[in-house]
Amino acid sequence: MKAKASAEGFAEAAKRHLDDVHAFLVYLTGDRAVAEDLTAETFARALERWHRYDPRRAGARTWLCQLARSTALDHFRAEDRRRRREGRYAVAELRESAEPVFGEGLSPALERGLAQLSAAEREVVALRIVLELDGEGAARVLGISTTACSTRLSRALAKLEKEVSAGVAA
Amino acid sequence: MSPLELVDGRFDKLATELRASRPAAPDGLRNRVEELGRVEPEPRREWGFRLPPRRVAFALVAMAILGSFIAAGVTGVNGSEPHRDAAGGPVAGKTQAPESAQGLAKKPAGVPYQRRLDKDSLAPQTARLQRYDATLRLRVKDVDALSNATKRAMNLTRALGGYVASVEYSTRSGRRGGATLVLRVPIVNVQTALAELTSLGTILRQQTAILDVTRRAERESRQLDKLEAELAQIEAELAAGSVPTERRLQLERQAVADRLALKTLKAKRARLVRSARLARIVLTLTTPAEQGAASPGRFNNTLDDAGAVLTRELEILLYALVVLGPLLAIGGVAIAVGKAQRRRSDRRLLERT
Repeated sequence: MKAKASAEGFAEAAKRHLDDVHAFLVYLTGDRAVAEDLTAETFARALERWHRYDPRRAGARTWLCQLARSTALDHFRAEDRRRRREGRYAVAELRESAEPVFGEGLSPALERGLAQLSAAEREVVALRIVLELDGEGAARVLGISTTACSTRLSRALAKLEKEVSAGVAA
Repeated sequence: MSPLELVDGRFDKLATELRASRPAAPDGLRNRVEELGRVEPEPRREWGFRLPPRRVAFALVAMAILGSFIAAGVTGVNGSEPHRDAAGGPVAGKTQAPESAQGLAKKPAGVPYQRRLDKDSLAPQTARLQRYDATLRLRVKDVDALSNATKRAMNLTRALGGYVASVEYSTRSGRRGGATLVLRVPIVNVQTALAELTSLGTILRQQTAILDVTRRAERESRQLDKLEAELAQIEAELAAGSVPTERRLQLERQAVADRLALKTLKAKRARLVRSARLARIVLTLTTPAEQGAASPGRFNNTLDDAGAVLTRELEILLYALVVLGPLLAIGGVAIAVGKAQRRRSDRRLLERT
């Protein structure tokens, strides 16, 4: 009976937070195709580890975002090793794509501005602005203090605004 | 309140646009995840830490402390029977000094302490030179009895040919008091003295020590004889008158040194003989109020034993901390450093991505 309840819990959580996790990974990777794969992998990992999830410690969305970040970091490390081996930057090439990455309907200036941010800056923007996580939840996902999270967000937004302004002026 | 408002109101427009255009998961991905949702996950571990680890840690520490107190209490209660000597009589507690093996330990059951010191108990052998030290702690009825016992002890010592080396007598509130006497009694009379002194009150503690110094005295006697013979030979040679000046000076210097050594050795031997001739008895008399502290009841014994167990537990804990503490600290620091490095590495990776 408990196993059944657990299964329903996972299915429900997956359904409810799929868009959030996907959006977070799109911002983090800056690549829709990679984000899709990582989202699927995140939920596969979540299914494996669902028995470890403790709702009293964090909400399902926070836990899934932590898992998504960990999955993305594994991907980045693997990519980094591959890049070092091959001596080229595949992600940089992908960013040159004309397809909107961060969302349909975003102004080109904002799209470019987001692309100019680092993954570290985009992830905090995604968590606090797009997913509207509170400071504590975002800090938990990033593994930093609430103050550091606020500072990072403030800097990222300032940089983003600067990039957008520069893009509009151009 | 919007999370953005916590940071800066200037970015509201930016935030609104970002939120309005947030990327949605494509249908293909949604289907893949829904398929995953149909799989039954592993049941949640019910035995896992449902409580926050910090609370669990506190609970464990509290349980350990409680357990140690219970263990101490149980040990204290079990071991709180009044301490008894071999004959079953109550004595002054665990700090009792080793008593005369032949005297107290062989005391027949039911015989009062006052009468237990027979003439055979650790009697000095008058044929040999022995240093005899005895310590007696007696309980007397009250301050009046204390005064009488002190006087009787002093008179007895003098009557036996000894002397009182020192006396300390004090009373408090006219009801409690104590006296400490250092008595020197001829060794031939020490058994009589002890037998009489123990009749002054109830024995709380008795300790006797005998050190045989016969061989030491014999060695010193031989040294004395040798020195005297040497000196006599020197004096004879000097008296002959036909000694060259240089030899005479040498003999005179030797004679002076020998006389000095002879004098020192004689004094030393005299002290040794004197100490072996007079036994030293330290007699302590106390009234019941003071004795109460020395003869604890069942409750006090329980507390003492429980305290001893707690002290032992603390010692073990301290030892474990001293031994394991540095290792745990090094391990903790290594883990913390590892985590910090990992976090820094992740941050750099994300910054250059």
